[in-house]
Amino acid sequence: MKNLKRVIALSMAGCMMAGAMAACNTEGGDTSSKAAVGESSVDTKDVKSIYFLNFKPEIADKYAAIAEQYKKETGIEVKVTTAASGEYEQTLTAEMAKSEPPTIFQINGPVGYSNWAEWCADLKNTDLYNILSDKSLAVTKDDGVYGIPYAVEGYGIIYNDAIMQKYFATSGAKVTSVDEINSFDKLSAVVEDMTAKKADLGIDGVFGSTSLKTGDDWRWQTHLMDLPLYYEFKTDSGSSITSCLNSTELKFTYADNYKKIFDLYTNNSCTEKSLLGGKTVDESMAEFATGKCAMIQNGNWAWGQINGIDGNQVKAEDVKFLPIYTGVDGEEKQGLCIGTENYFAINSKVDAATQKASADFLNWLFTSEYGKKAVKDDLGFIAPFTSFGDNEKPEDPLAKSVLSWMEKDGYKSVEWTFGGIPSENWKKEFGANLLQYVQGQKEWNAVVDEAKSSWTTEREAAATA
Amino acid sequence: MAENDNKLDLTEEEIAALNLDKDDEELEANSKYTGKSVSSEWKNFLDGVEKENEQRKIKEEMDKLKLQKPKGKKMTGKDIFAFIVLVIVAIGFIVPILLVVMNSFKGKLYVSNEPFALPTAESFVGFKNYVEGMEKINFIPAFFTSLFITVFSVALLVLCTSMCAWYITRVKTWYTKIMYLLFACSMIVPFQMVMFPMSYVANVLHLDNMFGILIMYLGFGAGLSVFMFAGFVKSVPLEIEEAAMIDGCGPIRTFFTIDFPIMRPSAITVAILNAMWIWNDYLLPTLVLSNDRTLPMAIQYLRGGYGSIDMSQMMAMLVLTIIPIIIFYFSCQKYIIKGVVAGAVKG
Amino acid sequence: MDKVIKKWFPLFALPTFVAFSIAFLFPFFMGLYLSFCKFKVVTNTTFVWFDNYVKAFTANGDFLNALWFTTKFTIVSVISINIIAFIFAMLLTKSLKGTNVFRTIFFMPNLIGGIVLGYIWSMMINGVLLTWQSTITTDAKYGFWGLVILMNWQMIGYMMIIYISGIQNISPDLLEAAEIDGANGWQKLIHVTLPQIMPSITICLFLTLTNSFRLFDQNYALTAGAPGKQTQMLALDIYTTFYGRVGWQGVGQAKAVIFSILVAAIALTQLYLTRSKEVEN
Repeated sequence: MKNLKRVIALSMAGCMMAGAMAACNTEGGDTSSKAAVGESSVDTKDVKSIYFLNFKPEIADKYAAIAEQYKKETGIEVKVTTAASGEYEQTLTAEMAKSEPPTIFQINGPVGYSNWAEWCADLKNTDLYNILSDKSLAVTKDDGVYGIPYAVEGYGIIYNDAIMQKYFATSGAKVTSVDEINSFDKLSAVVEDMTAKKADLGIDGVFGSTSLKTGDDWRWQTHLMDLPLYYEFKTDSGSSITSCLNSTELKFTYADNYKKIFDLYTNNSCTEKSLLGGKTVDESMAEFATGKCAMIQNGNWAWGQINGIDGNQVKAEDVKFLPIYTGVDGEEKQGLCIGTENYFAINSKVDAATQKASADFLNWLFTSEYGKKAVKDDLGFIAPFTSFGDNEKPEDPLAKSVLSWMEKDGYKSVEWTFGGIPSENWKKEFGANLLQYVQGQKEWNAVVDEAKSSWTTEREAAATA
Repeated sequence: MAENDNKLDLTEEEIAALNLDKDDEELEANSKYTGKSVSSEWKNFLDGVEKENEQRKIKEEMDKLKLQKPKGKKMTGKDIFAFIVLVIVAIGFIVPILLVVMNSFKGKLYVSNEPFALPTAESFVGFKNYVEGMEKINFIPAFFTSLFITVFSVALLVLCTSMCAWYITRVKTWYTKIMYLLFACSMIVPFQMVMFPMSYVANVLHLDNMFGILIMYLGFGAGLSVFMFAGFVKSVPLEIEEAAMIDGCGPIRTFFTIDFPIMRPSAITVAILNAMWIWNDYLLPTLVLSNDRTLPMAIQYLRGGYGSIDMSQMMAMLVLTIIPIIIFYFSCQKYIIKGVVAGAVKG
Repeated sequence: MDKVIKKWFPLFALPTFVAFSIAFLFPFFMGLYLSFCKFKVVTNTTFVWFDNYVKAFTANGDFLNALWFTTKFTIVSVISINIIAFIFAMLLTKSLKGTNVFRTIFFMPNLIGGIVLGYIWSMMINGVLLTWQSTITTDAKYGFWGLVILMNWQMIGYMMIIYISGIQNISPDLLEAAEIDGANGWQKLIHVTLPQIMPSITICLFLTLTNSFRLFDQNYALTAGAPGKQTQMLALDIYTTFYGRVGWQGVGQAKAVIFSILVAAIALTQLYLTRSKEVEN
């Protein structure tokens, strides 16, 4: 039995040592290639499969047909796995440690890139980058390109034109058409007048609920916050995202503007302020869809939450966008907030041939006839590539509205500067403070001060990471 | 107290006749274990076991009676008051479950707006939520995946941990004591501690599929199961086992013909407790499985991006998830209560 | 007999132990090692000694706040669950009609999984609080009591059954003897019943203590820590640390180690204290 004792003791010690060693720096079999994808001519004929970790659950099943078609055409299998909503980072972290990590994955912008920099291959020589219509949109560092945006999205104030027309027909209406609303003052005048007449208009409130439930407050701590950030960090040269990223402090010069629009939302809402902490985005969209409110801040992705829902009372032709006005000078020429948080990245730790094969797949998706049709009809992306003609963009009313605002002469869209926010933590804390503010438990000045100090702390923490 | 009840009713001479302290060579030399003598010793042994079983059956009946109320006793005023309190609390206990069922029949918009309202003509949508929900998340494959994993993990757990617990209790060496301690301590450690490494380990060892996850569940559930079994093993009398072994039963036969049948209630408890946990488990399959989905995982896919979620479909899917486990529970109810009792108290 | 069975270790104990090592021991030690590292992916780590542990306590007050909240919650839950379960057990060991039905109903909540439960109760509590124009996030107190009620709902049935068994195992002779000596109901309870059911108390305390302390699913689904982080328990805090900031997974792992040590210390202390009070029959 001495032998048995020894065996057990050794195996337990072995367990512990193995645990320590496994967690040490493993170079994972040096098949990784630091060269830019497509630099040297690489033969992809031996590549059997590529692996794409998808971010959007609602189109997960659409990728199955696309993968099948690609396999038919090229013989390469495209494995598509979808992370559950809100769990992309978690899933990606787990998958990257496995022996067959994703070859195509998604990053949300510069901050996401700093998280995954080691795994992002340089894409500047790929065909996909070449057909990118606005090269400044890509995630870059020095002269390398590491993330290519694949779906442009826009958000603003969605309004129900039918209710607006009803309002314009009332006596004493402040404006007679939506086009006249081109500044915060006009917007608030109209909104407050509508609130006074809400019984006549048949609505519970002008705006849908400002959903502040944890996890559902991104419309305010990120999207609405974009406007003060954009105006504070915009420069004449280069994108505001970069200057935001490089900032170590937030001056929050436009804090009052934020307060103005936020108060407008919550004072003219169809829900009491004290109840906002329990509201979700989905519930707010339901209020809009059932005609309980006339306006709601959200983006073109929200079409799926209006259309085809039981009890939906909003017609497609009545759904349009209005920019979010905050009382900044020159906002008469301000458009919607247009940008993207969806960037494709290719795993630099897989071998060069697989990297090239992955890039080829993406290129096929956005240039081939089949791919483009799938992108337009099934995936619903507004793809920012030159390969897409005007009639190859999605046709739902919100996408159309976004596109028309993007193309309006003389109007400047607001960039998605929030891509430079230091961390998720900052957003969560800001959202929590907004909730306390709206519940009357915190003064606005305290919210502003904490936002500023948290910005500095988070930026430092990220720098030392 | 329980130990004493289980001693065989043998007289001093009979015990001496069994020659328990002589070792094998002596006994062989004594030739008492040849031919007719063997069968008479064996007969004594069998008689003893029969008496044992009878006593056990009587005890079981008495336990059953204890669990039932004595008939024909009148309820006093205090009792009626207690009864009413219990009824109210019981209703309170069921309300959440009823809410879920009720809401699963309403349309999506009505669930968020009026969660407590009964379905009206307007909000009632029949089985639409069930059908659509099932299609959306690919219910049937997920259901069978969950079923497969639960049934086989539980079977594996009951089999392996009972054997392990028996071994640990009977063989008292330093390493079995340590093993017992490790198993007990594993019940305390929170899951976050092993979350990250577990996924990596499963992948490296190629356990990230439906068969590998059975091993992961065996390992992760071993703590509680071994702990419970070990407590119950202590109440199986050593004498029977020793007698069987002396007569030539190997440990395997001894275990499966004697111990396992006696430990049946405990085995059922362990089975049920583990089934409940594994059926509802979300985190472990998410981290371990690469290509398959269990039911709790599939339900999470009802959430779309940007916060879109169909609450009424989710309610419907929850009902479908709860039904199997409730059916299982009702069919084993008797054993659960007995088993929880036995396993916990002796543990 | 020992010697005979000993050889059979590979068949009886090894499979379980191997699986246990793979699924638990190995990840545990790896997790322990990782708590001293900085990492984003487990295959790519840098050793940083006690840096993570320092950061766990000093980065912000979250860990200590969560600790305080969790402790409060555990104390209240353990007391309420055990007392209520015991009262129900006493009631259901008398001659009331429908005892079996009650037992079934009280045990049922245990069958429903964690996250699901949180959503259902969140809906219910918000619906109830609607009449006072507030939600569960209005005040940390609501979140606290919401969690307590939820925990009670889930655990009372299970504990009750254990208490029932303990009560039914009390020899009626003891109770009779006490009555003969002139003890009233209350004295019988304190001096006869309670000491006799000590084993049940041990188990119930152990289970409620460890489950309350490690609570995650229900916390996440019910409040997710709102308002702010005031209703965030330890397990949720660790989870947030994992994913809130880039490169802080090591700190989260360190927090998890501290968490494990805490729970183990408390649970083992409790087991020791109550086991020593168990009356030998």
